[in-house]
Amino acid sequence: MLRPMSVVREAIATDMGDEAGGAMAEGAAAGQARDRVRAGRKILPIVEAVVLVAALLAPLVLQDYLTVFATRVIILALFALSFDLVWGYAGIMSFGQALFFGSAGYGVALLARDLNVTNIFLVLPAGTLIGLAFALLLGGFLLLGRHPSSVIFVSLGTLTGSYAADRLARGWYYLGGQNGIPSIAPMSLGSYDFTEGPAFYYLVLGILVAVYLLCRFLVRSQFGLALAGLRENEQRIAFFGYKVQHLKAIIFTIGGAVAGLAGSLYAFHEGFVWPNMVGVVVSTQVVLYVLFGGSGTLIGAVIGAVIVEGVSFWLSDNYRDIWPIILGLLLLLVILFRPLGLISFLLGERERVGNFGARPKENVKETRDAP
Amino acid sequence: MANAFVAAFEILSFGAIIVLIVLGLGIIASMMGIFNFAQGEFVLLGAYITYLAYAKGMPIWAGMVAAPFVVGALGFALEALIIRRFYAAPIVAMLGTYALGLIIRESVRGLIGGFYLTVPEPIGGSIDIGAMHISAWRFTIIVITLLVMAGCYLLLSRTSFGLRMRATLENPSLARASGISTPLMYGATFAFGSALAGLAGALIVPVFSLYADLGLRFLIQGFVAVMVGGVGSFIGPVAGAGVIGTLSAALPWIMAPVVADVLVFVLAIVFIKFRPQGLIAGKGV
Repeated sequence: MLRPMSVVREAIATDMGDEAGGAMAEGAAAGQARDRVRAGRKILPIVEAVVLVAALLAPLVLQDYLTVFATRVIILALFALSFDLVWGYAGIMSFGQALFFGSAGYGVALLARDLNVTNIFLVLPAGTLIGLAFALLLGGFLLLGRHPSSVIFVSLGTLTGSYAADRLARGWYYLGGQNGIPSIAPMSLGSYDFTEGPAFYYLVLGILVAVYLLCRFLVRSQFGLALAGLRENEQRIAFFGYKVQHLKAIIFTIGGAVAGLAGSLYAFHEGFVWPNMVGVVVSTQVVLYVLFGGSGTLIGAVIGAVIVEGVSFWLSDNYRDIWPIILGLLLLLVILFRPLGLISFLLGERERVGNFGARPKENVKETRDAP
Repeated sequence: MANAFVAAFEILSFGAIIVLIVLGLGIIASMMGIFNFAQGEFVLLGAYITYLAYAKGMPIWAGMVAAPFVVGALGFALEALIIRRFYAAPIVAMLGTYALGLIIRESVRGLIGGFYLTVPEPIGGSIDIGAMHISAWRFTIIVITLLVMAGCYLLLSRTSFGLRMRATLENPSLARASGISTPLMYGATFAFGSALAGLAGALIVPVFSLYADLGLRFLIQGFVAVMVGGVGSFIGPVAGAGVIGTLSAALPWIMAPVVADVLVFVLAIVFIKFRPQGLIAGKGV
């Protein structure tokens, strides 16, 4: 099914090639000239290294309660990574990503409550599998089939799935209803219990780094390149013989598995699960992280989660009420002026996998009048 | 017998409320091709304006009449300033309008806090038919919904404004070549859709009270209704809203409310999957 990498590169490049080439020949727009200069330098690895070093040193300088907070942020960053995989690389708007996060959380909470299973080597794979299974079911239903699904249908379908799960969790007595499942036993490794603190932090950081590297390998493989290609021009990739719906279903499922892993870690770290975790609130939260940080770069998702959570933590004492309004305004500004997120201040569009620079102006104009 | 009649009336009135809320959403989605995630917040604003009029001692009717005009004007301004930039990509439009909705919702939350504020029904009491009592206000909502639907239909199919609107929908470049100002038409369409949401909010606030998540409550239901009915026509979303509203009001009478709620959504998604064009396919009114 997969074509050699060079063909895919060409497929994407021919789409953008004339445009990018034309623009470069003219060198008219200052932004494009800047991108061209940056194309030579690789900023992304530097950003990744800086973030990693900062994350490694964090517990040494942070107070105890902040380390606990940082652990939560890292778990949310892992969750953001799962959304970035499906949205940033394949262009699937998974508006209900919390469904996989929360259902895995509920799953491991039930394992711990009803079966007394807290062994880390059992619960984390179980959570990952739950996320994977739910994503396979929902993704298979929404993405595969005779009629190709529209982007809007997939986003509304996932959103509806997440909303329905939220309603179900709230109304189901076995799952604790409104209150969720409180006081989950800590995750254990032999006789050692992972409670909040530096040990849990480094465990989560290690998992994040491992998953990050796997994702990085995946999106830079020819599979990932084909995904980026369909994000940029789905018809062309289909024309080259790829089964685009299958590619989408696969990455959607992988995203669900990562979200499930994050959800099971979150359940054990917080010690409880509650209906919001599967619902629309958390689903849109993860969209915010990735849009803020910058989609399609992986590290952008991590940075977005850290910034959004960090600033909201910082503001929560004094400006709790107006913070959501500021968040909305910032989000609007990012969408309007920085569609590739805050990270696009640092790196050029070309460093986003499969992206060959801005689309030419006249194309945008043409479609603008014909929605 | 009497109980069944009252139940049927309850179901019908809930269906009418959903139709009222979805009407504007459907017009914007069909005419402009964008799903307006701020539509729920326009409903909220309509409700808030009505509440303000009541709280300031004015007659409730005044607030209800003002709501569609104020929200419509706001919609027109927002379209010109922000929404216009989103037409190129439907997903960006979803996210952008979501951000707008977030700003409006949280601003209203800041103004009213986490309370449920109540507004009395302008027409109180009940209509008695023999031994059966039905709420007069809910009955009024059904009547107004029918009138608004008829009005929309006439506006879109019989007036020159409707003709221009449909021309813009069918073929924007040809419409522009024929001397129709398409940007103005998009602005007017968006303002019209917003005004309908404002009216819906004003009419339902006595039934549901005013709280910050009022619009959010109907948003997903509204989208699903539009998709089930079919984007691209006036009558599609109305039919979809009727079906979804009626189902979600009727099913709790025969099964657990939570199961009913989830079942409606599952059925709707399965339906859209196998009939993507919706109940009523088509472009134009």
